[in-house]
Amino acid sequence: MAEGLAEERREALKIIGAISATCAFPFSADELYGQQAEHEHAAPGKSAPMPPAKYFKPEQMELLGVIAGLIIPATDTPSAKDAGVASYIDLVVSGNPNLQRTFSEGLPWIEKQTNGRKFVALTENEQLAILEPLCEAVDQSRINTAGERWFRAMKSLVADGYYTSRVGMVDELGYKGGSVLASYPECLHEH
Amino acid sequence: MATKIYDVVIVGSGAAGGTMAAHLAQQGVNVAVVEGGPKINTRTDFNTHAMPFEFPNRSIPTMKPGKQGFESERSRGLGGKSQTWNAVAWRMSHRDFKGKSIEGAGEDWPIDYPDLKPYYDKIDNEVGTVGNYDGLKDLPDGIFQPPVPMKCSDKLVMKGATKLGLKVIHVRKSTLSRPKGNRPSCHFCGNCMAGCDVVAKYNSYDVHMIPALKTGKLDLIPDSIVAEVMVSKENRATGVRTINRVTGEQSEVRGKTVVISAACVQSVALLMMSKSQLYPNGLANSNGHLGKHFIPHFTGGVQVFLKELIGSPLKADEGFLDHAYLPSFMHERKRDYARSFGAQFGYQNRRAVGWARQIPGMGKNYKQAVKERMPAVFTFSPYGEKLPDAKTFIDLDLAQKDKYGLPVARRTVTWTDNDMKLFKDMTSWSVEILKSAGSEVFAVGDTPMTNHELGGARMGSDPKTSTVDANCCTHDVPNLYVVDGSVFPSASEKNPTHTIMALASRTADHIAALMKKGEL
Repeated sequence: MAEGLAEERREALKIIGAISATCAFPFSADELYGQQAEHEHAAPGKSAPMPPAKYFKPEQMELLGVIAGLIIPATDTPSAKDAGVASYIDLVVSGNPNLQRTFSEGLPWIEKQTNGRKFVALTENEQLAILEPLCEAVDQSRINTAGERWFRAMKSLVADGYYTSRVGMVDELGYKGGSVLASYPECLHEH
Repeated sequence: MATKIYDVVIVGSGAAGGTMAAHLAQQGVNVAVVEGGPKINTRTDFNTHAMPFEFPNRSIPTMKPGKQGFESERSRGLGGKSQTWNAVAWRMSHRDFKGKSIEGAGEDWPIDYPDLKPYYDKIDNEVGTVGNYDGLKDLPDGIFQPPVPMKCSDKLVMKGATKLGLKVIHVRKSTLSRPKGNRPSCHFCGNCMAGCDVVAKYNSYDVHMIPALKTGKLDLIPDSIVAEVMVSKENRATGVRTINRVTGEQSEVRGKTVVISAACVQSVALLMMSKSQLYPNGLANSNGHLGKHFIPHFTGGVQVFLKELIGSPLKADEGFLDHAYLPSFMHERKRDYARSFGAQFGYQNRRAVGWARQIPGMGKNYKQAVKERMPAVFTFSPYGEKLPDAKTFIDLDLAQKDKYGLPVARRTVTWTDNDMKLFKDMTSWSVEILKSAGSEVFAVGDTPMTNHELGGARMGSDPKTSTVDANCCTHDVPNLYVVDGSVFPSASEKNPTHTIMALASRTADHIAALMKKGEL
């Protein structure tokens, strides 16, 4: 123990000396970070298979998928529909009575805006004509109708579900997970 | 079989318990550490590098499948919260110990910085603390490994703060920037609070207790929830009664001295549960002050997108989370409240993408806006000091029992006029600094939230108004000690763990010295 402490004091003194003298650290990178080589991280893991829907009916799942795909459509990366966000929404709503109420009022509200047709059978422009005013109202915090209450919850769940999916987090946002770096990248911008 | 009687029984294996255990064992004292949670393997058991999409509900469990640990407040695992802390390591200063003398509010500590300085030094030498020698009066320098460079975001915010005349410094952490002993330096994966699987970040199990096992003086007793501290008719603590976490079997661990280091609220709860004829209102509570003077830090937080980083390429720059810090400056300025705040820079991992909900719009423009803002997200977390008040306390919820049949600890927190003035000021300063740095502000925390639980068994010279003395020994029972955040009479605005470890080291020396003299 005494020997270890003495060694540590020497190490500390070396560093104190270096700092007070030059404000720099005269060690080579290999000396400093030599122990990094052994540690590697696996590439980001696979997506967990989502459980089958337990709260929403199949036609509701289809509706949720279509709407999710309108909130986050495909670009050079897949849409929220193709990222399976409806299954995530089902998982969250199935365990949350408040959200169940919001969706049980919101989904029929949506289906009433369609002049008797099914929402999923409308053209994309017709669908957007129903959703975009809701989105605008929510962005401006004008939340009065069952539709607006539902859209606020829906958009949050779509955003959460998409950007925590592999497609959203890795492919779209480019987050690769924790890296193993030999040294911290100094910011070289002219901030 | 005769029951073994240890010199010291320590309840809890976190930063306080683990440090004490090592320092006592190294001085030849026979120690048992009783931990509610299981034995864990830091290097293999944590979900350190998992991604949210590996789990259907996108919530990453602390432990890997089939690995036990961190199931509740009473049952974490060897190392306790030091396994999942963020390792920020400040020293408190004279100003923090003597706040009442200086500004007439709150409470003084019976000790001052010179009393703890040798122990802070010892802790720095043992755990390895990174930092810059800033020479600040109220944030004393330690013995540092070189600091880690600031992030782009930190430099931008620092520039904004500098324009307002404020000083930003490198963070100080018990995470290595240089190898030390068998611990490698940090590799900057940004998963510090998910359990550091290379132990570049200090935890009390790998850094203090495992090496101390070699002395042959330390026994680790995991899976043992402590239900009661036993006290004899002669007013001596004799050990603890335990419940096996797995089997529910009851047992006892006996000792000549008992130390409670179960983390602030749980330590207070354990004393409250330990009722006897001598102590009908809870152990070490003859003055009725146990549980009072609960002074957790409060935080709010401002989330922004730094304009200069919007649309820049996403870098692997999570580092070891926060790399910079705004030390308190309001202590030195005219203000209409007592105490002050400091602010932590962005310690949130980039996996936390909840901010995407806040971006207005939908469709391709929305998707593009989110992508552009990913590299620009920044969270500023000021931490303020709460003063003790009569309506903020810890007690037991006797109506609620946990799975071990023990009453659940309850926190009651009230925000006083002083707290709210401080909270509003730290929030408005945070917004101003971030605006000065060039930000789109998208979320401003408007309600104080607690963190860093402190107080409840406070230290003081007067046995009528405090629970432990300057050596962390309870006023009521001469061989019963409490060593953790609960003994803080005032909290300062600084992250407390380094001070808790210094107190643990100091108390270990005190106990070992008494034992050598045959006085315990």
